[in-house]
Amino acid sequence: MTHQETLFQAFATALNIELASVQADLTYNTIPEWDSTAHMILVAEIEDAFAVMLDTDDIIDMSSVAKAMEILAKYEVTF
Amino acid sequence: MTDMIDAYGIQLRPIAEEHLEPLRKWRNSPEVAHQMVTQKLITVTQQVQWFHSIRERKDQQHFAILYRQQLIGAANLKTLNGGHIVDADTLEPGIYIGAERYRANVLAFAPSLTLLDYCFDGLKVKQLTARVKVSNQAALSYNYKLGYVAVDKDERFVQIALKAQPYHDATTQLKSLFNRNRRK
Repeated sequence: MTHQETLFQAFATALNIELASVQADLTYNTIPEWDSTAHMILVAEIEDAFAVMLDTDDIIDMSSVAKAMEILAKYEVTF
Repeated sequence: MTDMIDAYGIQLRPIAEEHLEPLRKWRNSPEVAHQMVTQKLITVTQQVQWFHSIRERKDQQHFAILYRQQLIGAANLKTLNGGHIVDADTLEPGIYIGAERYRANVLAFAPSLTLLDYCFDGLKVKQLTARVKVSNQAALSYNYKLGYVAVDKDERFVQIALKAQPYHDATTQLKSLFNRNRRK
């Protein structure tokens, strides 16, 4: 699995949506499934998948799939 | 009453003159005004008059919300009976995020957590209450995540209320998210 596939799968699992629905422009609060509760689950899912510990500002900034990729790049996860 | 509250990565500071114009512009923007009880546009003069009127009031507190030293919105507390805030059993909080970047963002919870902790733990109020437009489903959903429950409803508004224990129970996880390490 590539890192992008791993990330997309993490979003699909955390938000409980179809993998095909996960696109780079998917944004927080634009679908009912991505609310604050799902955001907390998503953080845990991403941290597990990539063995990282996100800090609070990154969790706040992680407002889209594309932004999650940018943030993970800071943790040396390449896409 | 407190002057400044710093928690969950944001600061609540008493509204100062420098905050007035950006707050007025946000408050008059269609996105924010649409969700308010009245959509009447606020003039510069009205805003300045309001600012002078609130400074001496004991039944209200008005805060600017700052994140990374930037103004992102406003918060307030009001008593229901005109009494002093420190003596109140019930308060009506109000919050809006004006900065577009943070309107649809999990950060929007941080000012509420800060304000509500202050109410329950600092001021020791027994209950918070608010009126939310029936059409404002986003705000209702947001408040239910904080532990609020609907207690009354008419054609236009839902009356919601929150007590300390349901609030603390509902927000434990959310608080832990904002209490992690932060970037320098």
